[in-house]
Amino acid sequence: MGGGGLTTYVARRVLIALGLVYIVTTIVFLVLHVIPGDPAMLLLSGGGVDPSAEAVAELRRKLGLDQPIFTQYIDYLAGLLQGDLGNSFQDDHPVAAEIAKRLPRTIELILAAALLSVLTGLPLGTLAALRQGGITDRSLSLVAGLMLSVPVFVTGTLLVLVFAQKLQWVPAGGFVEWSRDPIRHLIHLLMPAVTIAMGLSAVIFRMMRTTVLETLQQEWVRTARAKGLSGRSVLLRHVVRNALGPVLTVLGLHMGTLLGGTVLVEYVFNWPGLSGFLVVAVETRDYPEVQGIVLVISFLFILLNLLVDLLYSVLDPRIRLE
Amino acid sequence: MTTSGNAPATTIVEARDLTKRFRASGGGWGRRAQVHAVEQVDITLAPGEVVGLVGESGSGKSTLGRLMLRLIEPTEGRIRFEGEDITDWSQGRLRPLRRRMQIIFQDPYSSLDPRKTVAGLIGEAFAIHKLYSRRERRERTVALLERVGLSADHLERFPHEFSGGQRQRLGIARALAVEPRFIVADEPVSALDVSVQAQIINLMAGLQRDLNLALLFISHDLSVVEYISDRVMVMYLGRIMEEAPARDLYTKPRHPYTEALLSAAPVPEPDVERKRIILEGDLPSPMDPPSGCVFRTRCPYALPACAEAPPPLREVAPGHRTACIRDDVL
Amino acid sequence: MNPKLRRLLPRLLLVGLILGLALFAPLLTDQDPVKMTISERLQPPSADHYLGQDEYGRDILARLLYGARVSLAVALLAAAAAGVIGVTLGLVGGYFGGIAELFTVRLTDIVLSFPPMLLALLIVTILGPGAETLTLVLTILYTPGYARVAYGETLSARSVEYVEASRALGASPFRILFRTILPNISGPLIVQFSLTVASAILIESGLSFLGLGVVPPDSSWGLMIRAARGYMVYSPLPLLWPCLALTVTVLAVNALCDALRDIYDPKAAREGGLLQAARSLVRFPVAGEARRAEAEPAEDAQVKVSDLRIEFATPHGAFAAVDGVSLAIGRGETVAVVGESGSGKTMIGLSILRLIPGPHGSITAGSIALRTKQGDVLPLEQLDEEALEEVRGRDVAMVFQEPMTSLNPVYPVGEQIAEALRRHHDLNKREALAKAIELLERVGIPDAALRVRDYPHQMSGGMRQRVMIAIALSCTPALVVADEPTTALDVTVQAQILDLFQHLRDEGDSDLGLMFITHNLGVVAEIADRVLVMYCGRIVEEGPVREVFRDPRHPYTRGLLSSIPRVNQATGERAPLTAIPGTVPGPGERPQGCAFAPRCAFAEPRCSVEEPVAHSFAPGRSTRCLRWDELGPAAARDTEREITQEAGQ
Repeated sequence: MGGGGLTTYVARRVLIALGLVYIVTTIVFLVLHVIPGDPAMLLLSGGGVDPSAEAVAELRRKLGLDQPIFTQYIDYLAGLLQGDLGNSFQDDHPVAAEIAKRLPRTIELILAAALLSVLTGLPLGTLAALRQGGITDRSLSLVAGLMLSVPVFVTGTLLVLVFAQKLQWVPAGGFVEWSRDPIRHLIHLLMPAVTIAMGLSAVIFRMMRTTVLETLQQEWVRTARAKGLSGRSVLLRHVVRNALGPVLTVLGLHMGTLLGGTVLVEYVFNWPGLSGFLVVAVETRDYPEVQGIVLVISFLFILLNLLVDLLYSVLDPRIRLE
Repeated sequence: MTTSGNAPATTIVEARDLTKRFRASGGGWGRRAQVHAVEQVDITLAPGEVVGLVGESGSGKSTLGRLMLRLIEPTEGRIRFEGEDITDWSQGRLRPLRRRMQIIFQDPYSSLDPRKTVAGLIGEAFAIHKLYSRRERRERTVALLERVGLSADHLERFPHEFSGGQRQRLGIARALAVEPRFIVADEPVSALDVSVQAQIINLMAGLQRDLNLALLFISHDLSVVEYISDRVMVMYLGRIMEEAPARDLYTKPRHPYTEALLSAAPVPEPDVERKRIILEGDLPSPMDPPSGCVFRTRCPYALPACAEAPPPLREVAPGHRTACIRDDVL
Repeated sequence: MNPKLRRLLPRLLLVGLILGLALFAPLLTDQDPVKMTISERLQPPSADHYLGQDEYGRDILARLLYGARVSLAVALLAAAAAGVIGVTLGLVGGYFGGIAELFTVRLTDIVLSFPPMLLALLIVTILGPGAETLTLVLTILYTPGYARVAYGETLSARSVEYVEASRALGASPFRILFRTILPNISGPLIVQFSLTVASAILIESGLSFLGLGVVPPDSSWGLMIRAARGYMVYSPLPLLWPCLALTVTVLAVNALCDALRDIYDPKAAREGGLLQAARSLVRFPVAGEARRAEAEPAEDAQVKVSDLRIEFATPHGAFAAVDGVSLAIGRGETVAVVGESGSGKTMIGLSILRLIPGPHGSITAGSIALRTKQGDVLPLEQLDEEALEEVRGRDVAMVFQEPMTSLNPVYPVGEQIAEALRRHHDLNKREALAKAIELLERVGIPDAALRVRDYPHQMSGGMRQRVMIAIALSCTPALVVADEPTTALDVTVQAQILDLFQHLRDEGDSDLGLMFITHNLGVVAEIADRVLVMYCGRIVEEGPVREVFRDPRHPYTRGLLSSIPRVNQATGERAPLTAIPGTVPGPGERPQGCAFAPRCAFAEPRCSVEEPVAHSFAPGRSTRCLRWDELGPAAARDTEREITQEAGQ
């Protein structure tokens, strides 16, 4: 197969990702229609009082629900292709503009958290594996187990209580533009990123530990030792290097939880990203906004998974050369 | 070929033009890759006959065995069992027939359900076919265990409590529970230690003789096949290369592959100086077998003509058939 | 009790306790979780309210207990409903394939392509919050997880031989699915269930925390945290209680899950057992208290092993995998070590490179003297890891059994050969690669200059084994240990590799000493000058191959030779097969006296008492049998008949 393997592989992955994007788009559209009952009625009946007939008709018109379903679908897709996600119920501003403003902040948060988790999880996981059964391994594993079990909003709330309100080391939340003050921007980023990273780091730690333990059992490790390589080279070249692939896969699997976590964390820390905004949109039952944000975050999810797949193929030639 | 209904009593199972092509997994888009596992195989077993099927990995010998039991559906070809064409029978219709044909597996570890006791493992056969009363089932199971060299003490044990050889005995007992006439034994001794192998071969040879079983004995081990078989078929890349009474095949091979295979097998006799034929290269991919004779790419005697069409099996001596066009070399 | 069960039990009890607290909430407190007493807001713990009161003066303990009911009910109900639907989908899709498969796999793929929290929020937007909505949402979210696990497990179970055996017996698909497959995949499914419960609790509490889950005045831990956040600076206790309850619950379920996984997941199980090899990488075991014999350089021997004892620590005490083995391999000599599984033959091979998997296994006695290329004799058993690394690959190299797994899949083969070269020689990358191509040519790989860039998975088994041999030969060692190098190969490829070994020995490097470990007597006859027969960690017979095969003087050797099916080429007569009765005793089951005695047709009462020593009865020949002298060629034949009759049964 030779050199063509990687290109074919990438092309295939990208096509699959595009297919998923289309499916997700369609499902988001359908959700409103498959749920039993009149969606306009459902959306308006939140306050406990029955909505007036005019209000329902008005909402139906706004959502395009008075059109035949097929026309609605075509309009919806056409709108998406032009970057039009509809207008907010609340203030009639275009949803797309609001999303464009907030999306980078969410991505920044995710990247910061991922970076922190990888930098802690990988080395500590390797260390624990090498010290399997020892005191280091046991205590690290215990901490990881604990961090996995504390919900992010509990971690976040407790961090705010201790470090922001009691000790007053860091602000309790909020956001400062990088262009205004980079230092304060990073200070505000710190706690939300750490909150997400705690859980994620534990996931990476555990996976790295297991995979390194498994890889140590592989026969090629014995071959490497039989060549006379030092313990250090064996560890780095034949154990850690091989363990990265599976760990990456797990990271991909946890991407969904990670993105879900940002909803809670942005809410707790008042981080003005996309996910936190989603909560407001759901509270006010601003359907176009919810739909737009869900779509964009799902696209982000698909994109991140695509990146994980591609990175994996770089790490493991068996994937791209199949 | 015989017409339907009254097939001669000299065959118990018979397959014609048996072919199996698997869709290749993972191949993905565009090219529809196919694995040519078994191609155009004719095979017949008489009651009480032991036929050895020899081949290397990827030759399709295990697939052929499973095809004959209809555990895998053939792509082409017909299978007749005890005179009836069972090729198109539904699995439900086959069920009663499964009492008369059985299989013994290679791996004594994965072939026994780890969650069933010995009584449950062998009793399953009775339960499926609703045979015997509860008491009788137990008695039968004990009798079977004793027949294969185990005892009633083993009834309530789980497979993991047994050694490899004992597990293989259990596998044999399970196959015998329904009193079959035809058994496919797929590499039944390959996973066992040498000293234990001999026990199982002795056991199987004895049972075959006593119960007059038709046995298709699949193995890559030439000496084991020679020892147990009346007739031997040699497979390569899904096709039968040669077929002959055991003694003829081993003493006067008429196909270059058989010749090479026989000369490649190490023989535990240091005093015997043998001419060894070392085949070049590896087995071609069954996804893209060579045109014409599939063996030609590694054959020391190949001619341009060998690439044209797959040579048919021809009779070169009574009961001895070979799929090679070169009569001049062997 | 099994240590894994011992781990499981307390966790099971803890989860049971939590469930019990929730279930019996009305019996445990007579406080009403929704009754407000505004005058008593944010009161500290008191005799009436053990955990104090919240911002509306409601009893926190009661709200915790009743909140647990809602949370756990939603989680358990959703996990169970998703389980039933998902497992059915997965079983059917995995077993029948076709449309059912397409449906299962695609459906789950689609749901899994949404981040779960978002799908939940989308549905909540339309249906509005509430416990019923939550249960529905969670069921949809978790069905694919089960379907995927059940599908994957069924798919692999479908091709397992015992399932095929059921089919061959005529079992109906229904019977196979529910009687054979389901019990066997129940482990992973139970694990999945507990995973799902933990995750469901997290999502439920998360949504409630956002005010989008359970609706007030119902109680929920998430809601309690949400409310208490507002006044946590003044009164942190109402915040801490639900945080603690939530964390402990999730922790308990997760811990239970880990213990279950240990029991059911074979991968995890393996981890527990052998894995100690891990530590040997950082802290290599040094044979500390070993009783050391003097390293005496044998005349012309590449390696001389004396009184070697290798012990493994097991839960049932230490056992000797190798017990008092002495051997020597001369310059240019090929010595075969033959034996069945468990005979300790592989351990001897590994010990010559000091690669015995530690810390369970270690050399406890004896010496290994290796002659280097310079002619020095090194006492290997005394060297530290750093010195050993110098020796490995340079003076002694090894070829392993499985060419599939012995090469690292992520590097091209050329790089793996170059790595060995660069370890012991001062070469740059390009020089090492050029040398690697030369080596590949030498081991008979066509188009070596191209193949050098191939990854192991692009090569056939035979080719890979040639690469392994190239690695072993790369630094021209004086001794190569080959551990069953042809066992995983087909007959015709095995012949190629044997031919290669003979070729290398005869023409290439006539000084090369070769230790060839195998169970195949045919291979021994083809390749070796001398043979050592091992049984239960001991060498029971030793001598030149021809002599041992013609006139074996140990009943075990004799048994092995006559276990091989043979047909008389001239007459076509099948010689009766002389099987050795019984099986090789496992570790810890070794009998007193001669280990072979219970299976031996020549055994006398004294054999089970007296341990035979190696008796050298002719130049280069020895046996460990008390009755060796009665085992002459003539005596054998009569006895063999008897054995045949016994072993036949």
